Amino acid sequence: MTTLSRRRLLGGIGVAAGAAGLGLPAFAAASKVNVGALRLVSHAPSFIALERGYFEEAGLDVEFSFFQAAQPMAVAIASGDVGYGATAITGGLISLAQKGVAKVIGGALREEKGIPGQVILASNAAYDAGLTEPAALGGHSFGVTTAGSSFHYMGSRVASAAGVDPAELQFRPLQKVGAVIGALKSGQVDAWSIVPNIAGSLVNSGAAKQIGLIADYIPDYQVTTLMCSATNAAEEREKTAAFIAAFARGAADFNAALVDRTADDADELAAIIHKYVYEDDTPEVAAKKIAAGAMRLSPGCALDLASVEDQLGWFTSEGLIRGEVSTEMLVDTSYVDAA
Amino acid sequence: MDLSLLDIGHSYGQTRVLEGISLEIPAGQVLCIVGPSGCGKSTLLRMIGGLERPAQGRVMTRGAAPEGCLNPLTFVFQDFALLPWRTVAGNVSLALEDHRLARARREAVIADVLSRTRLSDFADALPRQLSGGMRQRVAIARALAVNPAVMLLDEPLSALDAQTRELLMEDLVGLWSRAPFTAVYVTHNLAEAVRLGHRIAVLSRRPGRIREIVEIDTPLAERRTGEAGLERVQAHLWELMREEARAADAELIDA
Amino acid sequence: MLERVTATAPVRAAQGTGPEQGREVPFRGGGFRPGQRRWVAPVLFVVLIALVEAGTRSGVISNLTLPRPSDVFATLVDLARSGLLWKHLAPSLGRLVVGASIGAGLGILVGVMIGLFTLVRAGLVPLVAALFPIPKIALLPLFVIWFGIDEASKYALIAFGTFTPTVVATYGAVDGVDRTLIRMGQSFGLTWLSIVRKIVLPGALPGILSGLRVSLAIAIILLVAAEMLGAEYGIGAYILEAGALYDLERLFAGVTVLSVLGLVVSFLIGRVERLLLAWRA
Repeated sequence: MTTLSRRRLLGGIGVAAGAAGLGLPAFAAASKVNVGALRLVSHAPSFIALERGYFEEAGLDVEFSFFQAAQPMAVAIASGDVGYGATAITGGLISLAQKGVAKVIGGALREEKGIPGQVILASNAAYDAGLTEPAALGGHSFGVTTAGSSFHYMGSRVASAAGVDPAELQFRPLQKVGAVIGALKSGQVDAWSIVPNIAGSLVNSGAAKQIGLIADYIPDYQVTTLMCSATNAAEEREKTAAFIAAFARGAADFNAALVDRTADDADELAAIIHKYVYEDDTPEVAAKKIAAGAMRLSPGCALDLASVEDQLGWFTSEGLIRGEVSTEMLVDTSYVDAA
Repeated sequence: MDLSLLDIGHSYGQTRVLEGISLEIPAGQVLCIVGPSGCGKSTLLRMIGGLERPAQGRVMTRGAAPEGCLNPLTFVFQDFALLPWRTVAGNVSLALEDHRLARARREAVIADVLSRTRLSDFADALPRQLSGGMRQRVAIARALAVNPAVMLLDEPLSALDAQTRELLMEDLVGLWSRAPFTAVYVTHNLAEAVRLGHRIAVLSRRPGRIREIVEIDTPLAERRTGEAGLERVQAHLWELMREEARAADAELIDA
Repeated sequence: MLERVTATAPVRAAQGTGPEQGREVPFRGGGFRPGQRRWVAPVLFVVLIALVEAGTRSGVISNLTLPRPSDVFATLVDLARSGLLWKHLAPSLGRLVVGASIGAGLGILVGVMIGLFTLVRAGLVPLVAALFPIPKIALLPLFVIWFGIDEASKYALIAFGTFTPTVVATYGAVDGVDRTLIRMGQSFGLTWLSIVRKIVLPGALPGILSGLRVSLAIAIILLVAAEMLGAEYGIGAYILEAGALYDLERLFAGVTVLSVLGLVVSFLIGRVERLLLAWRA
């Protein structure tokens, strides 16, 4: 969808940074914003934006609401209890968008070849029995949290890309990431795909085998997106743009220090993120885990519309969503910078 | 079969309930035990029947049980103790089922005891459908079914109203007259004691001791309520018990 | 005594001139006696559904809050027509029957043992009290390791969930058996087994059955939890999937099926009670 007009409202990094540089607050009084977050490295831009004062400079008085899973956060955002958040495109999110209550306003986590990304794993037993590459996935079970989750999408798309009919996979819904880990370790499910830090610790401890990278099978996969309620998207344009801009600054810092490693403040950023993620670990261990799990965040919160379209098409073809859904229903393109 | 109680004594914790009870219960007689409430007379009865173990003393039986006796010492309880989920016949049957009896023999026994207690028409009724008097007659029929050597009756008429009690006393006298049985009959009702007892043992209040044993010579079948001789015995018993009963009434339950 | 009573009567009569004079004693003995009104429940149900329907149609209730009852009904009809209802219901019923049978069966056995044996009681009552409040859902990942991802873990979860309440209800029921009946059995020289079989078990049956009402309701609740564990088909899996997709119509359709299941179970236990406990008034 490169024909989409590339509009930038306040949303560019340059504008926000410029305003901050001039010392002009975007709003007279800081407006309170509740931001939904999960204690995952992929939510680091929000944590960085708060700790480094980007939200404040954008005139936002941010408070975090933490969730255990993306699904309840999406519902909380749709109902207006939480202003903004980042989440994967799931059946639940699309359903909320269909009801006209939630909108995607930008991109966050994204697969990129050459950068650590999500990993396709096989259980030791299945690996020994010949599941050494995704092309052998046929007839095997694949762990997912719920039907219509990003795991479900990945499993299905990886199979297609590897020349396997996705109908030959048995998708096992296990609700929680912890349950899938347990099932994979004990060989109850044969395969799974997961973010690099979890995959790394499983592979390093010998509990599972790596059989591929998501980036090789689903190139440019837009894993998570920024979203807000439809009301915020339509009526709070300034605030929404300010949020996107501040989040993008956080993402830029993250990319520079931990993904591209062009900046030398990686330790400082790890310390910031450690306040919210891996709180149980020592700073050294946490820093290692954070570095290991650093995936690319879309620069400028750009959204890969081709990937979004592909995901929508998959959800529709799988019968996971009822009726028609268009990109326009899901995405408020006025904020979006196409990647 | 005769029964002897040898120097029975018992305590519940610190409380002495029975003290030095020795009694002879000859076959073919009804012994009534009366006493103020809490004097331990029901406890004594349970000891005679082997449901409770005395701290001191022993209960002895002498002689053989009658032929065909399935359960020498058989209780009749105050609250009837009928299984509410069994019919009248089923409740009687319960007492026989653990003995190896031919089915026909068992049914004959049930029919016999039900007819002796005038319950033949109610064999298939459930306990809840019966009046209190009928329920106790079922319990008596059940006791008769095992052909006991000694019947142990624990205030069998206390849960019944006065008219029913009168009728059941006549029933018991009738049953005894036709086939004399040995019985220990615990009651706090003196009128029952003088109607049904060949001998009446009066217990003192706690700790229960035997104060006196009264014998009545009038045959059971000839006794009538309100008869002068019986009234005199009853008055005498009341004299014996009055002070005990008053003192017992003033005691704390757990004292 | 008698004379004095008749002497006071004229004094009272002198205050009025006839029996109709004076005030009638007001009735104050009403209430506190729930009766039967068979029509109330259906009417309330219909009124509530109608209110929700009107609310969702007019927009007073947003489509984020509640689905339209008519849409839920249509979803149910579709589900039944496509044969998917049975495809989901059959495995759920299987899990319910097997899991609840194991849990309730073992529960009754252990409950009776606790009721009968001092040593068992001393050992198991604290253990059961410790197991009871464990949220079975919290053990989900563990159950995957212990029992595998297939049917066994689902049976185990439902069995575990029904076991503890059944044990508690059963030993309570055994404790509640009239001791005089047991003494009676002993006084007639019944064997231990006869006393248990003919007195203790029938006497505990009402308590056990009312405990089963609770246990089986818990089994239905746990069905959803059990089908979190890698179930492709099943009413619980259907509800979970609808929840994950935020598909309220399917969610409520699934919940409706569970409610109907609850009603059916309650009705069946009522039938069993009427059959086995006919001796009660």
